[in-house]
Amino acid sequence: MTTTTVPSAFAPSARMLVLLRNALLPLLLVAEVIFFTVAAPGFLSAANLANVVINSADLALLAAGVTLVVLLAGIDVSVGPMLGVVAWVGATLFVAGLPPLLVVVISVLLGGALGAINGGLVVGGRISPIITTLGTAAIFKTVLFILWDSTDVFAGPVVPALGPARAGGIPLVGLVVLAMFGVLAYVLRHRVFGRRLFAIGNDAEGARLLGVPVARTSFAAYVLVGALVGVAALIYVGRVGVVQATAGNELTLPAIAAVVVGGTSILGGEGGVLRTLGGLAFIALLQNGVVLMGVPPLWNGVLVGAAVALAVAFDVLTRRTLDKRIGAKR
Amino acid sequence: MTTGALPRRSMRDRVSDRRVFLAVLVVALGALMSLLSPYFLEVGNLLAMTQYGAVIGLLALGVSLVILGGRGGIDLSVGSALSLSGIFMGLLAQNLGLSPWLAALVTVAFGALLGSVNGFMVARLGLPPLIVTLSTLFLYGALAQVLTHGGQLGGFGREGFAALGQTAILGVPAQVLLVLAPAFAVAIWAQNRTALGRRLHQIGTSDRAAALAGIDVNKLRFRLYCVSGALAALGAVVTNAWLLTARPSAGLGMELQAITIAVLGGIHIFGGRGHLSGVLLALADVVVLSWGLQLAQVGNSVQTGVLGLVLVGAALLNNLIGRRAPG
Repeated sequence: MTTTTVPSAFAPSARMLVLLRNALLPLLLVAEVIFFTVAAPGFLSAANLANVVINSADLALLAAGVTLVVLLAGIDVSVGPMLGVVAWVGATLFVAGLPPLLVVVISVLLGGALGAINGGLVVGGRISPIITTLGTAAIFKTVLFILWDSTDVFAGPVVPALGPARAGGIPLVGLVVLAMFGVLAYVLRHRVFGRRLFAIGNDAEGARLLGVPVARTSFAAYVLVGALVGVAALIYVGRVGVVQATAGNELTLPAIAAVVVGGTSILGGEGGVLRTLGGLAFIALLQNGVVLMGVPPLWNGVLVGAAVALAVAFDVLTRRTLDKRIGAKR
Repeated sequence: MTTGALPRRSMRDRVSDRRVFLAVLVVALGALMSLLSPYFLEVGNLLAMTQYGAVIGLLALGVSLVILGGRGGIDLSVGSALSLSGIFMGLLAQNLGLSPWLAALVTVAFGALLGSVNGFMVARLGLPPLIVTLSTLFLYGALAQVLTHGGQLGGFGREGFAALGQTAILGVPAQVLLVLAPAFAVAIWAQNRTALGRRLHQIGTSDRAAALAGIDVNKLRFRLYCVSGALAALGAVVTNAWLLTARPSAGLGMELQAITIAVLGGIHIFGGRGHLSGVLLALADVVVLSWGLQLAQVGNSVQTGVLGLVLVGAALLNNLIGRRAPG
């Protein structure tokens, strides 16, 4: 790298900015935990933390899925309603007596198929991801409403690992989620598919010229989102125990919020699932701590919305400053 | 600027204009609906239909302007801005005892303020419109809930305010004649006949070219979001005059309708292309469709899905047409 023309005073401040960017979320998490430990009695107890894990496991998988398409500079606002549809099908099949493992397989396949609808419209139909998923979100809502047909479906966890079961105080579902995040993080960092997602998100045209199969990779990412939603749907059934007409709708924003707060750039090409896990922890602990403090749950939307706006502002502003510094070097 | 120098459009161009398609669609849908339900073409029914259309028409106009302004512009927060503005007006009218007319004026200014939050983050800070307005969608919606603890407000049925939402002049509902029609008339006139309209298309087509042509791109774009917020608040005023209650969920899901109408109307999602007159026709299409489904006893939940199909279908249509056009 040639840095001869750069005034040396610029370099450290750019480094500082990167450092601040990477350290911000951990710092915020620590501050949050300290704050709620003082302000909300019972916050730091093992039982409460296990509850937080169980209550946000399905959300975590949705957020992991959304991360994949945000890395592509896309978005998916249909994950919540999609979860509702899969949850209804999964719960109904389970209640009908199908073997649990078969229910898991069908749910994942169904989720993948619904994701393929999004992927097909975005890649094949060349519709912008927000318009596509806004449309399919509405369609999924209606599909669930028709399937639901005024009858709530009650069901327990399909398999123990996708329910509130604990082994020695540790929620099993938390281990499932961690394992899936581990696999995704590995794929994103070390496998060709993962690197291609970053390449497309950074510069789709450039990636295409380098021989990256842009259409196929993007399509696969939307299908993968669906498959993750499929697993999340069964966790949802295990957590809530009932599938109603609007199941899952409330999960879309927190899922996107976790991605954005975690620091995956909404402009694509930068971030990862582990950051999303951090963002998710921040939001889940925020919602939990606020409730323990006795604030009415109506405030949740205000807090999450504000957190997203602030996180995006910080992300874009630091990114732009960094781009300027890099631009100065050229 | 004169249009006399432009070559006359060929017959083929005219027929393939999106607006011809939309106009034919209105007639076809109307015919279909009147076959499905004998009540469809009754005067009372047509009135109720346009009353419903006035509110989402205002939102669709705001969203269309924001999308036309380019750089990925979109306003997902219009529905929530409507909810929050409606509640704000309720607080003024019921809790402070303000005259509903005065409250309405203040509410429109408040709506512009809500829009300016989006505009500031998008145009001044350069943040992505999608995420900015997605976060205000939830922020405003949640604030509306918080302000009323989930309840509803009233106090609008005084000083003849209900006339704005519940009466008809020469058979046309007041909110259509006095609010929706003027809003669209001004907007269509401004788009086609004023320098402002040209600037709108210029910033929507290319930030850089527009800036080089001496346009303050950020200022204009900021104002588009303010206008969108003000129109949403105007929608809240009309809703309050019509229903006489302000509910915190009044605008729930309306962003889907507004964006569907904008995209169906031929507003290109990447900005700079599309006619507001097309949006007006698309509004007529969607209103006829929704109302027809309502009469056919198809519930709101199913209508949502139909709108989703229309949105995706319209976007596909735009792409097909866009691919044929040069550039």
